[in-house]
Amino acid sequence: MPPFILKRSNKGSLLIFQYHRTKTRNLCSSQLVPNFLDSNQNHKVLDSGLSSILLKSTKNRSGSFCTLANSSLLSSQNLHFLYLNPKGWIFAREFGTQAAVELCTSDGLTVDGIVGSKWMIVEESESDWKSHAAAIAQSIQVIKKRLQWKKLMVRLDLLSAELNKPDLWNDPVHAGKISREHGSLMGKMKVVKAFEQELLEHIDMIKLAREENDAELESELMKALLRMRRDSKDKELEALLAGEHDSCSCYIEVQAGAGGTESMDWAAMVMQMYKTWAQRRGYGVTVMDEMPGEIAGIKRATIKVDGEYAFGYAKAEVGVHRLVRISPFDSGKRRHTSFAAVAVIPILGDGSTHVQINESDLRIERFRAGGAGGQHVNTTESAVRIVHIPTGVTATCQNERSQHQNKASAMAVLQSRLDQLEMARQAQMNAQHTQSLTEISWGNQIRTYVLHPYRMVKDLRTNYEVSDPDSVLEGDLDGFILSYLSSSLDKDEGEQ
Amino acid sequence: MIALNQLRHERLMELRVSGLCCGVYAKFMRPGSHFCPNSKSGSSISSSSVEVKPKIPLYLRPPSFSASLSELKKWHRWAKNLASSVGSSFVRLDNGPDSTLLRRELNWLLQDLLELQHHPVILSLLESDSNENVDTSVALKAPLEELYCAWRQRIEERRPFQYVVGCQHWRDLVLSVQEGVLIPRPETEMIIDIVERVALKTTPKLVHGLWADLGTGSGAIAIATARALATHAHAHAHAHGRVIATDLSPVAVAVAAFNVQRYGLQDMVEVRKGSWFEPLKDIQGKLAGVVSNPPYIASGDIPGLQAEVGQHEPKLALDGGITGTNDLLHLIDGAASMLKPGGFFAFETNGDKQCEFLLNYIENDKSGSFCNVHPVSDFDGIQRFVLGFRQRMV
Repeated sequence: MPPFILKRSNKGSLLIFQYHRTKTRNLCSSQLVPNFLDSNQNHKVLDSGLSSILLKSTKNRSGSFCTLANSSLLSSQNLHFLYLNPKGWIFAREFGTQAAVELCTSDGLTVDGIVGSKWMIVEESESDWKSHAAAIAQSIQVIKKRLQWKKLMVRLDLLSAELNKPDLWNDPVHAGKISREHGSLMGKMKVVKAFEQELLEHIDMIKLAREENDAELESELMKALLRMRRDSKDKELEALLAGEHDSCSCYIEVQAGAGGTESMDWAAMVMQMYKTWAQRRGYGVTVMDEMPGEIAGIKRATIKVDGEYAFGYAKAEVGVHRLVRISPFDSGKRRHTSFAAVAVIPILGDGSTHVQINESDLRIERFRAGGAGGQHVNTTESAVRIVHIPTGVTATCQNERSQHQNKASAMAVLQSRLDQLEMARQAQMNAQHTQSLTEISWGNQIRTYVLHPYRMVKDLRTNYEVSDPDSVLEGDLDGFILSYLSSSLDKDEGEQ
Repeated sequence: MIALNQLRHERLMELRVSGLCCGVYAKFMRPGSHFCPNSKSGSSISSSSVEVKPKIPLYLRPPSFSASLSELKKWHRWAKNLASSVGSSFVRLDNGPDSTLLRRELNWLLQDLLELQHHPVILSLLESDSNENVDTSVALKAPLEELYCAWRQRIEERRPFQYVVGCQHWRDLVLSVQEGVLIPRPETEMIIDIVERVALKTTPKLVHGLWADLGTGSGAIAIATARALATHAHAHAHAHGRVIATDLSPVAVAVAAFNVQRYGLQDMVEVRKGSWFEPLKDIQGKLAGVVSNPPYIASGDIPGLQAEVGQHEPKLALDGGITGTNDLLHLIDGAASMLKPGGFFAFETNGDKQCEFLLNYIENDKSGSFCNVHPVSDFDGIQRFVLGFRQRMV
């Protein structure tokens, strides 16, 4: 009988049954198959007689599962995946809220174990399953590190404990927040765990296939491993952007430092760099607010960058950017150093909690006041400035063509600024936040752009540097952004 | 398809307009290019037998023209330089636009000129210095020659930007405008907030009453009021009211009717030709609300107006007589008899002094006619609006 292959597409894993060996196993598997097919079902109640037999064999044959208590395996709160391999071993995989169980193969090999055993990693093109497996295992480690796995587990335990409190729903807003965060963390971890499990299953199966000289199965698994190896690179990148608000759109704000026209020109160059960067990434770019300099450049400007993960990437740019060049505005042709501060504000999605704004706390005034107004004036300038009196936070939008729309856009900017302020207030408690322009100190330099006497752009946080400032100023920023994101996440995990 | 729709629009308009006004001819209307009329004169209208045909705003036209990217780039650079050359000279002259504002208008002109989905890409190509894709053909809604002419008119003749592109964005509406019709102002947007907050929220039964927008111009207030009535009626599960818009100018009547039809509000907004309350004799004492932005500038101030206003917009919509209050006083007098008891009125004024004068007039000369009369300031802190309710019968 050929191997019986079941694909569970939603988990992306491949379960393989070879149930032709003995009568008993045949019986077991046929009873278990419906459970696997129904992956939406979270509570699986096993026939107690059968499960006790299964458990026995688990305990006997697979050392690393000894920690699994009977009760926890059968607890209906947790989701179990059980599967049978041809040698009659049963594995229980738990995706419960206490996800501390380490996954392993039938002979006790774990992801850390694979990395630890230092299998040679060779080119993708070479069909060497150990090399594929080692590369994937390494990726899984990187992904976990970037997701801040240990912190996630601590947080998850905290949230689970909170969710189990009987009086949780007395405060529905809080409860909603907790259960949303719990759900999103669970989702994040589940994806990685499923990937890990898939790898381990493949290793088990490939070993088996080789033992059985099943060339067809072996080549099938080799292909699957290769596919995983390629996927793992994408997953590593995705893991860089796993922060709470990373998937949001955002506002990017640039403000010129002291130094007159030269630094206003620099601020405009920085803004242009972000506009082209965002456009190249396929994001929508809208100028919300712009205060032009008297002679050239900008004093300050805000753009809206629309698209998935705009905030996740752009947050790497927060800080002070320094330019060294011979100023075209200096008739003496001297070398100048100027600064521009960059702030990035996430635009929170509907699911997030927004700061409530009372209309009575707002003062709305015309952006360019003065004159008789009304019928006397025909102007296409209809911008308003909204002031949030209690905090002094203001917002303006000049991009829209009617006052109503400018007001609505300015309100959206104001909302995001107040949300950011609130996030900063709560920052000690949990999530990271990005600094607003007022918080950024001019000493907080993150990157230097030198156009003279030599040509170089260097990130002071990562030491990443390139020797072609033009390409960077034309928006080629991904190298800087990715190196900063990975280095900052690696550092975080190390500090734990 | 778009062209067909437009043709249908125009036909419908002809039908509609011919039923509304009795044949007038606007001299500046010529067949062919109306995006860039050769005649400089804006508001000269003489009686004749040809009908007023509303112009199609640039953004609604089909992209039936094209230019290479390099040609467009050349025009864009020229237009930008022309805008920059203005500096702040217009500001000093008559508080007109500066070059920052003109460059923003240029971006909006491009927005209307290009197809929506191509706009961001082409804009970034225009801004970049690279010589890639210069041969790419770009679809345009007007020929390049007209663009040169149109932008020159904007800068050199100070033709209002809204007439150049044929539309004004006002609240959440995009309204057709053309010479002969006052371009609705940002300040006036607030009248709708007042109608919603003061009238409809406090007195919900006004939602299903009959409203009037007098001197409607482009139809802005009438259309936005009708939409507010519909929204509030929906919220309260009421039947919604209706709005009658009046205007003396046949061009305004035609343009307002066109805008009403573009928003599919023919069932809610009726446009009638005539002076102030004159076309409303059949509904005396039945109105739930009267709103208006009547001419309120003193005749003596007209010559000193900003060029865009004084040289291009219709005097009929601006000149309020020696003190600027002729029409406002007429409206207040009319409101006292045309509104039903409990009915609401809101008028835009020249601000502060004029507003106070009107409040005094209502208090002293119309005592007992109105209640809850008070001014409301615009975002510039100028007391811009006067509003109130007609006294209920005791």
